[in-house]
This record gives sequence, C-alpha cells and structure tokens, in this order.
Amino acid sequence: MVNLVMKDMRLGVNPWFFALPLFTGALMLVPGWIYFMVPFYFCCITVPNMLGGFKSQNDLMFSSMMPVTKQDIVKARVTVIVILELMHLIVAMLFSLLTFRLYPNMMYYFFSPHLGFWGLCFVMLGVFNLVLLPMYYKTAYKYGAATTASTIAALLFAGIAQWVGIQSPWAHDLFYGAGAEDMVVQASILGVGILVFLALTWMAYRMAVKRFLNVELL
Amino acid sequence: MLALDIRNVTKAYPGFQIKDVSFQLEQGYIMGFIGANGAGKTTTIKSIMNMTRIDSGEIFVMGKSVATHEMALKQEIGCAFGDVGFYTRSKIKTLTSIAKKFYTNWNDEAYYTYLRRFKLDENKKIAELSSGMKVKYNLALALSHGAKLLVLDEPTSGLDPVSRDDLLDLFRELVLDGEFSILFSTHITSDLEKCADYITFIDKGRIVASSDKHEFVESYRLVGGRVDQLPELKARLIAYKTNTFGFTGLMYAADVDPSLDLKATTPSLEEIMVYFAKKEEAHG
Repeated sequence: MVNLVMKDMRLGVNPWFFALPLFTGALMLVPGWIYFMVPFYFCCITVPNMLGGFKSQNDLMFSSMMPVTKQDIVKARVTVIVILELMHLIVAMLFSLLTFRLYPNMMYYFFSPHLGFWGLCFVMLGVFNLVLLPMYYKTAYKYGAATTASTIAALLFAGIAQWVGIQSPWAHDLFYGAGAEDMVVQASILGVGILVFLALTWMAYRMAVKRFLNVELL
Repeated sequence: MLALDIRNVTKAYPGFQIKDVSFQLEQGYIMGFIGANGAGKTTTIKSIMNMTRIDSGEIFVMGKSVATHEMALKQEIGCAFGDVGFYTRSKIKTLTSIAKKFYTNWNDEAYYTYLRRFKLDENKKIAELSSGMKVKYNLALALSHGAKLLVLDEPTSGLDPVSRDDLLDLFRELVLDGEFSILFSTHITSDLEKCADYITFIDKGRIVASSDKHEFVESYRLVGGRVDQLPELKARLIAYKTNTFGFTGLMYAADVDPSLDLKATTPSLEEIMVYFAKKEEAHG
C-alpha cells in the first residue's frame, strides 16, 4: 500500500497539486470572503485534474499489474486524496491565524475562520468523498459525473451550512455570537467535524472497494 | 510441475464469451497462444492476471490458485501487454525506481544486463521509445523481478525481424535451465514455428487444441482436389477455398481418406488459423 501511495505521489499527481494548498490557503487573507471557497478549490480543481491524469497515464493498468490487491489500490488512492485534503485544510488554517491578526475588527457576513468553521470544512470534504469515491470506483477511470456530483454535493452542504449559520439563532450564536469566542465550543465543533469526515471517508472507502472488486480492468 | 493450469474458465461479455477454456503449461517450456483477433487471447491472459473476473473455472500458477494467492503469484509472474504504455511521459529510470519497490526479489544486476542487451537508455522517456523498445522495456521489468512464468500478450508484434529474432533467442535461452516458462500470444505464427514447444489455439472463445507443436500441425491436413469432389467432402472439411483449378481446404488428419484422390500436405500454423477464421465466416 505504501508503494502505491509513493507511486501516486511521484508519478501520478502533478507536483503543482501539492503546492496548490499554499496558493489557495493564501486566499484566507482576502478579508471577509466566503472561506468555504478555499477548501472547495480542492474539489473542483485538484480532483478532476488528478483523476484525469491517472486516466491518461493508464495508471489503472500499471497498478493492477503490480503485486497488490484491488483493495490496496483503492486504499492508496483514498490515502492520497485525504493527504491532499488535509494539506489544503491545515495550510488554510495556518493562514487564517494571519487573517485574524491582519483584520482584527472585521465584520463577517460569511463564516469567520474560527475552529468551528474548519469543523464544517471537514464535514464538507467528507460529503465530497462520500459522493466522489463510490461513483468513481464504478469504473475507476470515468471521473466526469463523479466529480460533478461530488462538487455539487459539497457546494450544497456549504450553502446550506452558511444559510443555517445566518438564519438559525442557535447556529448564529455558535459561529457569530458568544460561541465564536468560546474555545471549548469551537474545538468541539472541529472535533465533531473531524470525526464526521473520518466516518464519511471510511464509508466511502468501503463502498468504493466493494464496487472496484467488480470492475473489469480494460 | 505445471507452471500454468487453466481449468474450465468461462467469462461472458455482452456479445462475446470465452467458454470452458482449459489448458496446461509444463514448467520449462514455451507455449504459443494463437487465435485470430477477438478470439479471446487477451481475455484469457487478463484472467491469469486476475484483471478480469471470471464467471467460473479455476486458474493455478505453480500449483497455487490465482484467486486466493494473487499477490504472491504476481511476484512470480512477469506480464507484458504489447501495445500498452504506462506513464509514457516519465523516464525509464523513474518508472523503474517506482516499479521495483513492489517486488521482493528485484535484481538490479539482471535489470541493467537486460537494459544493455536491449540497448535501452534509462534516461529516455517511455514516449520516446518505439513500440518494439516498449515491449523490451516491459520484458526487462518482468525478467528482473524473479518471475518464473512470463505471460506476454503480443510481445513480438511491434518488433523488426532482427529484434524479433533476438527476443525469440532470449525466450529459448530463458527456458534452457527448466525453471522459466513462457506463455505468449501472437498472430505472427512464424515466431511460434521458431521457438514454441506447445501450441494452444483459441477460436471464438473456445480452445480448439492445446498440444505439442508438431502434434498440433500433424493433426491437420491441407488438402487439394477437384471441385466435383467437394460435395462429398464438404462435411469433413473445416473450411475450404475454391479456385480455377479446384479447391484447397483444411481437415483433421484423421478424416483424410487415403482412397480419395486428394493432395494432402501438413499445413503451417498460419494456414490452420486462416482456415479456422474462414469457418467462422462461413458459419457466422
């Protein structure tokens, strides 16, 4: 499995996509922006390009000729996707520390980048993985419909979360009111977000393996 | 010991199927796997590599089932698909440095020996290689990880006559010590006449014959006769062609009646393939 991950990192994924988190992360410095867009760029830029690269490089044939199981092929790919997702989120979180210093008195219409917001970003990427991986592994090479559907799912989650955050007094208090400054509340939301991300990605992985076992490698 | 034992493998696709495919390859021999395009050669080879899910049947390599020992067996199988390129924009040395990590018995010394023998420059990108050189690179990879069985799909089809001859010599050399076994599919039957010990012939997804090469060709006769003899012989002919002078056709050696006034010769592998393809047209 480790060899497959290394293969993806050295051959399959263009180094640019490992540098991209630095650039998308820097967008956290745009004051008062819709910060959901920052991890969202991973969904609509990195993923389709990366999966397109695997397809055009005939990666599936290469991987299946190596002494590895089909389960390992999926596990390695999911690991690479999760590594990239974590890179996007961690770099963006680091930039967000600067955001608060640069704009201490900013009025946020959209979510401010407190820890709780990052919890929501984890859930968004979990939803993205849950739609992407099972759809993609129906064939393991067709990525158009899978990336479109998963990007829409992530967008819908972000839109609904933002709408609830503005409209619901309880949610508004958590993200804009007293809750926003409460470290325990914010860290708890982040913790729950990470757990949901892990659970959804695990489910996605299991479903993807089940489907990939039935794929004919053409 | 059997290097490869395929038993009753069946796999159905919409519009095509391989049915009850069975054949065996003894360790230390070369088997040519022949058949027309679309006869089921690649499907069978992909089944050996567990790349295709078979509907029924069993495949054993070195006595172990592929279904249950896939990972261990892939360490012992060298596989090359003639026209497939992976990561073609990468340099040979980059791809090798990745691929070799997967194999526990990788032998760098053997790898560089084959690179020199095949005149492969490891600083070249895969895309810069001719199709023949790509096959040689695939072979260098397969031969360097301690494979005991080589499964090659059309390995000679992109090669010039000199390289083909070199490759066939290499195949003979590899099986000399009795440890290596090679199954290779091809439609260049002259390659098999040069180096195969056994022939397995697949037609329309079914194995027509799998036997010693000489036994295989001797089991058929290419017969020639007058057109007026045709009605009597049609049922026994596998297929035939008519011309101004009469007809030529293929039949099983056992069906040849010496009392008939026919010219009978031993056919070449190519002639056997061609007449079986004609049978398909006639009945299709």
